[in-house]
Amino acid sequence: MNTGSIRFRLTVWYAGLLAGLIVLFGVAVYLGLNHYLERTLSETLSQQAKQIGEAWLGEVGVSGESYVSEEINEHLSPKVNGRFVRITRADGSVMYLSDEPENKRFDPTRVPLLKEHIGQESLREEHLTPDSELKIFALPFNAKDTSKYVIEVGASNQEIESVLHGLLLAIGIGLPAIVGIAIAGGYLLMRRALKPVDEITQSAERITSRNLSERLPVAKTGDELERLSVGLNRMIARLDESFQHINRFSADASHELRTPLTILRGELEAAAQQPQITPELRETLGSALEETERLSRIVESLMAISRLDAGEARVDHAHFDLGELTSSTTEQMRLLAEDKNIVLRCEAEHEVSVEGDRARLKQVIVNLLDNAIKYTPARGYVGVKVSATNSRAMLEVSDNGVGIPPEALPHIFERFYRVDKARSRQMGGAGLGLSIIKAIVTAHGGQVRVESVEGSGSRFVVELPVAGKTLE
Amino acid sequence: MRLLLIEDEEKVARFIVKGLEAERFAVDVAFEGDRGLELAQTYSYDLIILDLMLPGLSGTDVLRLVRLRNERVPVLVLTARDALSDKVQHFEIGADDYLTKPFAFAELLVRVKALLRRGAVNRANVLRIADLEIDRLTQQVKRAGQRVELTGKEYALLEYLMTNVGRVLSRTMIIEHVWDLSFDGATNIVDVYVRHLRNKIDEPFERKLIRTVRGVGYTIGGEEGL
Repeated sequence: MNTGSIRFRLTVWYAGLLAGLIVLFGVAVYLGLNHYLERTLSETLSQQAKQIGEAWLGEVGVSGESYVSEEINEHLSPKVNGRFVRITRADGSVMYLSDEPENKRFDPTRVPLLKEHIGQESLREEHLTPDSELKIFALPFNAKDTSKYVIEVGASNQEIESVLHGLLLAIGIGLPAIVGIAIAGGYLLMRRALKPVDEITQSAERITSRNLSERLPVAKTGDELERLSVGLNRMIARLDESFQHINRFSADASHELRTPLTILRGELEAAAQQPQITPELRETLGSALEETERLSRIVESLMAISRLDAGEARVDHAHFDLGELTSSTTEQMRLLAEDKNIVLRCEAEHEVSVEGDRARLKQVIVNLLDNAIKYTPARGYVGVKVSATNSRAMLEVSDNGVGIPPEALPHIFERFYRVDKARSRQMGGAGLGLSIIKAIVTAHGGQVRVESVEGSGSRFVVELPVAGKTLE
Repeated sequence: MRLLLIEDEEKVARFIVKGLEAERFAVDVAFEGDRGLELAQTYSYDLIILDLMLPGLSGTDVLRLVRLRNERVPVLVLTARDALSDKVQHFEIGADDYLTKPFAFAELLVRVKALLRRGAVNRANVLRIADLEIDRLTQQVKRAGQRVELTGKEYALLEYLMTNVGRVLSRTMIIEHVWDLSFDGATNIVDVYVRHLRNKIDEPFERKLIRTVRGVGYTIGGEEGL
């Protein structure tokens, strides 16, 4: 997963926000509920104490103490309801004490007796054991026969705590679940919303200098993404225009260069044909002719590259065997290698069918081999290999020659780029051979790359689509 | 032999005329398409050399109009446009050969002679220069009566030189003839093969037959100088 993507970041952000809000909400609910339950319990306790007093204890002089006990047991059922009930006489002796509740939350006999008779109602908490807390409401009460009592009604705090515990549990389970659903839902939603962006990206990836006439798909949604693709399309149109301009310019320039070159060459040849000229002058004219020749080659190469870039290259669409072409071309070049005592080895798999301009692709092989032989010292090694996978044909030319310094590697396919200015000029190159290779290979839907270690050799790899397939 | 040159660049026209006249051709020159067409339709030329970029009527139109009259005169097209599609188009209209500027004059001459079916095509089975002899049927080569073993390419190179005795052949012409144009440009394959060929047929003998003409190419036989 790409943690830098907008989709991921937005999802994380708002899942975090949602989790934070839920936690905040949970805390508020928890505190509110706690407060509410405490108050309700206090009120219930005070009501029950008053009920005991008014309903039964008031008439204790008439009805007798055992009647009061029975009534309390019958109507309030402290044993079942988990209530603590105690009635204390004015002398501190206990008139009534409820039994231990069924849930055994507390032991009523362990609740300490009141030190003295209290004059007014009070609410207190008794800690019986570390985990059992009793909230007790005490009510002083005067029976009709003026005897004084204190009625105490209590309940375990655990009742409140178990409710709050339940709430915490609900929040604890609910929160991750909700956040999880929000992340999943949000991610899917974002993916849906950002799908057009992916499509735009993919289409934009496909557009290179040779298919600038293509445009990105524009979804008529009226949203930001439509504006984005329209804006990108305008930019591509401007690029298209300037590329065409450049291509037209270089075609015109090459064309305009040819006429003076023709004249120059013709005049020099004519001058060199004069029988009466001195050998020195003949040498000079010959040298000038050589330079004219080189200039012509540069113009030819530039013209070829600009035509390839303009997409005019693939006039010829033949199917042929790259392996066969490579091994036959290698044989034709063998003498160049032998001349320098270079071992030239060719391992070409046959029946590697590619489609395109045979002469152009042969030029690629020739140029690669020529380079390899030129930049490999005597008694070196040059290897050629052709292999194929399901969809791609690979042509590799490797040598153990001088190699290419790492800082030059990214530039070697650029026009007029020279690794070693002095040496390559001496070899008669113009820094266009690799540019032509790249232009030809690109025009055939392929790729060319290079690996090299300075001082120990280079390896050029050309990948072409097998006939009827495309490189992914 | 009378040739018509239709070329608007005066200087280009001048050296072509000069060179062709040195080869004993009579040459008429037209600097515009219309004038060229007029001349072509008035006189009976043995060959027309036609530039494509012309003021007025374009070279393509001239070619079309010349062919419209069903003229069988050979037409050699000269142009600065070298796109394959251009070549194909003009061959379809009826051009007989195509030469891209800038060209070596020697190349123009070889093509002109080939179109006129004169000189360039030596059909003899056995070719000889001095004491060098090649047999085109058996592909055997002898110098001073001794057999010389040549590889296929060396033989092809020698045969090409021998069929053009005394004429300077440019590297491009040799490549086009002995290999194919994929080798043009960067490689020094021609020089390497010529050196190997020299080692076999010239090195052991006093009289050297293969000569380098600096800036132009190679030639066999012929007089010293160019």
